[in-house]
Amino acid sequence: MKFKIPLLILFLSFWVNLSAQEKYKISFNYKDISFIDFITKVESTLPVKFFYLEDWVKDLRLSDYPDCTTLECVLDNLFKGTTLYYYIDEFGNVVLTKNYTVKISNISSDKNNKFLPPSEYSGGSGENQQLSGSSSVEIGNPAEKNNPGKVTISGYITNKDTKEAVSGVTVFVKKLSAGTISNEYGYFTLTLPRGNHLVQFSFIGMREKSVNLSLNGTGEMNVAMTSVLIPLKETVVSAQKSVTLQRFEVGAEKINISSFKLSPTSMGESDIIKDVLLIPGVQSVGEGSAGFNVRGGSADQNLILLYGAPIYNSSHFFGFFSAVNSDIIKDVTLYKGGIPSRYGGRISSVLDIGSKEGNRNEFAGSAGISPITAHVSVEGPIIKDTLTYILTARTTYSNWIFGMIKNPEIHNSRASFYDLNGRVTYNFNKNNKIDFSAYRSHDDFRFNSDTVYSYNNTIYALNWRHFFTSRFFSSLSINNSSYNYDISSKGIPIEAFVLSHKVNSTGYKADFNWFLGRNEINFGLDLTKYVVRPGSYLPNSDSSLVIPKRIETERAWEGALYFDDKFLLTDFLSLNLGMRMSAYYSFGPQTVLQYNPELSKNKSSVTDTLNFKSGAITSRYGGPEFRVSLNFRISDQSSFKVNYNRTRQYVHLLSNSTSIAPTDTWKLCDYYLKPQIGDQVALGFYEMLFRNSFEASGEIYYKEIRNMLDFKGGTDLIMDENIEKDVVNVKGRAYGLELVIKKTEGKIRYSIGYTYSRTFIKSTGYFSDEIINSGKWFPANFDRPNDLVITFNYLFSRRLSFSSDYTYSTGRPITYPIATYDISNKLLVTYSDRNEYRIPNYSRLDFSLRISGNLRSNRIAHPNWTFSVYNILGRENVYSIYFKRSADIIQGYKLSIFGRAIPSVTFSFDF
Amino acid sequence: MKNSRKILPFLLLLLFFTSCITQFLPQTNEDKEIIVIEGLITNKPGPNTIKLSKSLPLGGASAAKPLGGCSVSVTDNLSDSYSFTETTEGTYVSDSANFQGVIGRIYTLHILTNTSDNATRFDSYPVEMKPVPAIDSLYYVKQNIKESAEGDPLQQGCTVYLNTHDPSNSTKFYRWEYTETWEFQIPFSVPNNICYVTAGSDVINIKNTSSLGEDRVESYPVKFISNTSDRLNMGYSILVNQFSLSEDEYSYWEKLQNLSEQVGGLYDIVPSSIPSNVYCIDNPDAKVLGYFSVSACSSKRIFIKEYFAGLVDLYTNCADAKAPIGPVIPNLGVTVWIIGSHGPMDPYWILTYDKGCADCTVRGSTTPPDFWPTGK
Repeated sequence: MKFKIPLLILFLSFWVNLSAQEKYKISFNYKDISFIDFITKVESTLPVKFFYLEDWVKDLRLSDYPDCTTLECVLDNLFKGTTLYYYIDEFGNVVLTKNYTVKISNISSDKNNKFLPPSEYSGGSGENQQLSGSSSVEIGNPAEKNNPGKVTISGYITNKDTKEAVSGVTVFVKKLSAGTISNEYGYFTLTLPRGNHLVQFSFIGMREKSVNLSLNGTGEMNVAMTSVLIPLKETVVSAQKSVTLQRFEVGAEKINISSFKLSPTSMGESDIIKDVLLIPGVQSVGEGSAGFNVRGGSADQNLILLYGAPIYNSSHFFGFFSAVNSDIIKDVTLYKGGIPSRYGGRISSVLDIGSKEGNRNEFAGSAGISPITAHVSVEGPIIKDTLTYILTARTTYSNWIFGMIKNPEIHNSRASFYDLNGRVTYNFNKNNKIDFSAYRSHDDFRFNSDTVYSYNNTIYALNWRHFFTSRFFSSLSINNSSYNYDISSKGIPIEAFVLSHKVNSTGYKADFNWFLGRNEINFGLDLTKYVVRPGSYLPNSDSSLVIPKRIETERAWEGALYFDDKFLLTDFLSLNLGMRMSAYYSFGPQTVLQYNPELSKNKSSVTDTLNFKSGAITSRYGGPEFRVSLNFRISDQSSFKVNYNRTRQYVHLLSNSTSIAPTDTWKLCDYYLKPQIGDQVALGFYEMLFRNSFEASGEIYYKEIRNMLDFKGGTDLIMDENIEKDVVNVKGRAYGLELVIKKTEGKIRYSIGYTYSRTFIKSTGYFSDEIINSGKWFPANFDRPNDLVITFNYLFSRRLSFSSDYTYSTGRPITYPIATYDISNKLLVTYSDRNEYRIPNYSRLDFSLRISGNLRSNRIAHPNWTFSVYNILGRENVYSIYFKRSADIIQGYKLSIFGRAIPSVTFSFDF
Repeated sequence: MKNSRKILPFLLLLLFFTSCITQFLPQTNEDKEIIVIEGLITNKPGPNTIKLSKSLPLGGASAAKPLGGCSVSVTDNLSDSYSFTETTEGTYVSDSANFQGVIGRIYTLHILTNTSDNATRFDSYPVEMKPVPAIDSLYYVKQNIKESAEGDPLQQGCTVYLNTHDPSNSTKFYRWEYTETWEFQIPFSVPNNICYVTAGSDVINIKNTSSLGEDRVESYPVKFISNTSDRLNMGYSILVNQFSLSEDEYSYWEKLQNLSEQVGGLYDIVPSSIPSNVYCIDNPDAKVLGYFSVSACSSKRIFIKEYFAGLVDLYTNCADAKAPIGPVIPNLGVTVWIIGSHGPMDPYWILTYDKGCADCTVRGSTTPPDFWPTGK
């Protein structure tokens, strides 16, 4: 026996020392230096990173600890007798905690973790338990421990640093294959049998966390999660791991801020829309074009929500930059299908931009410059933990660049934009929170002429969140969103004009969430008031002879009642039943022309004029929208989902060009224009592979869209008073297969996504000018059947990461002129059938490298450098093909927007 | 209001450093030739003409490909048939003694092609000849082309305007074609010194009055004449023919106008083919270009002979070639067209090498047209 014990000790110490000494051996003299200096020195010599509050350690000094040559040993000695504890994870992050310890359970011992003395924490029954780090928790009265049956726990998940709610966190008990996802307020609820469970909390961008739960009875458990401090480039992250298995929706994708900040950029500006385009099923008509197309929907069918309000123009610079500054984005969720019933008003997708709240603990900020833009953001508490703010601003200095260029055309041109965001959050108390947000974006440009274009988005939103109980809460909000543009010219004094368009909507929303047993119920009321000024053409100076012309203002209300129940039928089968009853009324005053039904609608077939008085209903539409999904968990590793949803859209974007132009106008449904209706069925299969380190999914969908608009050949839509006579009604159908495989763990992560999809359009008109391509199905402008996206990330170290994207897709369809002819001296061209041809296929490879400066938390600013090369192969991808009459022939040209590799450098720092 | 289309050049500019443009001819594999019909029947005396040709491949030579050997006829609603005879290849002309359009009658065009082995039949939809009101007035307004900066010479041009109205409020859709004729002079006193040149309209002029309470067109700008041509230098005349269109035909021309300005850019109107009113009987899906127009016609002509400031002299370069000559005149008879001297005793000089500077018949005809006012 005497012999055995020393051997065991020897063996243990050998094992510990071996790994520790290899990694964290202290080779300098630390006697009498302050702890902060010690950290500085350790961080500069060893691959570790400390996380702590300065207050805790500022007075701490080291003394001599004989024979202590490892970091662990020094810390053990130093913290002896204090209330400080520490935890070193496998990545070399050293997390200090005060008053409680970090306890790691159920983690295999080969991970080099240091086990600390047992937790001093003991959970009381029914108490709210604030957790940080991994730990043990007891919920409920231990006396009830042996009662039969299941109990339900619930709680909120917050970000430890910012105190913001974290939505989309997977809460999972692996042994039981039971789990849930925190909702948009960070709230989760989970029903489990009594007993001991290991509950895992995981989310992209957050340190995964496990809690040993001793469950005796019903109770609450609030969890604080820590951000991963070094952003891992994840390119496009759909929900991670079991999130995919758990979500009810087929086709919901969540992107976390930390993942897209690193994407290679075209002009050094990280851009959420560019990352959205990497999601299978999302396409655009060309790089730099505004808008995106989701599963065969047109670009106006995407509901882009910021602060809960729709953004009507989502881009700056015609589409080169998205209109939302990435500094304010917390996360982004794209619903390609399975749109929850609380969303409505657009038929193809919802892009919900989750925005940040100000940091509740301390002042923080960031600033940066890229080749085109500069941005700054500041945030912090006004009253700690209660009243916070966040302000961001972004602008270009392109005008300054233009001014430097000698070429007179450029010298005299201007193009600039800015955007501003502000948000104030007031946490009255535990049960009430109010926030007010404001957003403004502005663009103006002038092309070596006197015509000035300017356009603006403005959003104000007020939201009050109230908790009746922790399981029943409401969110009441009012928001106003407007978009307007002005085109003005004073070049020719007698023709000086200003042409304007404005859309303004005010939304009132009451949303309720109720967690009732195995049900998660969401219901509410959604009202939107629209005021659209379709266009005015007014003189712009006293000498102008322009006859003022204003198209009648349109007014309408859209209302919806919705109800949605996520119900766990069994542990492996869950059902989501949702319905949205929507209704739409447009009101006078309005003048409506009546046409001879025997003839195509045009000026000459007008038979009568109807004059609707102010307040009279000019049109009404509406009906139920069913949103149903079923999630069947086949095993721990795989699940199968089906869903159906119907959506209605009461506003149209009038665009007869291939790509959205800033001068396209919004139009409300009216006497003639019917709402667009979309129906989609989707099936999805999801599988985790190789111990959950790979995630594979396949989704198929079929979609039909009614009442889409196309336009009669050659019509001009700006200042068109009677749009119905230029409309060609079309219907659409789309189907596709989306396959994705992702490696979601480790230093090297990648994903490969392949989509095969088709989108067709068919005119449904009766008269010859309402028929396109003889009434046959033809491919839509954004029909790009083959689409391959590969993303690759390699985290060399915590300070250096590399990422790369590759995109290949079929060229978009195009209508070519096929022949020229001459009629009485006029050289004319004739065209092929609509979209009969395609532009060449698209292929692009990008790289980016991010270098972060020293990451010590006590340093004033953390610098980051990002080096990107966009289109590194220099391929001349065709953006557009256009034709010009030069002398007596029609010459074709192809335009490549990025006809060469575009390097850029972005510098930013956080403070 | 086609502002959105100006964005494309702007984009190119914005991307000055990154974008590139290369000439490109799409591979359309469209080698088929589409029949082009240019037909106009009016109530004016004189022959009516139907021109048939074939479309040309894109980017190819612009030499027209007339379509000869067809039999062309027009029938009316009284079941009379009038055949047209081919004068030059692809041009078919009615017998003016036999056929003149009558207002109120409905005409249909019939074509039978004789292309090698298989003949194809084309018919137009019946088109009624609508009456057309007279042009009330045709006038011009002199205008300063640019706000001249101080000290800059004044530049003037003019715009020809038209007024018309239909008391019966039934015309509503108008189209105009014009023919310009002007007199010009080369700067040397040689035999072919003064010529007359004629040009047709190369733009589409249409107007729709259906949104107005009265069928009235006021100050429609038919033609803008800038100071950079020599139209206004000596004497200018413009003849405007006014046609009344059916709504179908109006919409045909309107779309043609919208699509022919610029084509294929990203913010352009999605292009489409504009259906003709002539169709192929043997193959209803076959594409047909052009239009069979039937309209009464009213005409008006004005003359402009007035001083305009800042007119550009198209012949300024002619004098640059001036050079003294020695005993041997180089290239005499090949490129040298005028020699002259400043005085009886002075040596001869080559005044110009350019035929266009020396002989006005390069551009026009020395015979004044019939309508040209004599004695001027």
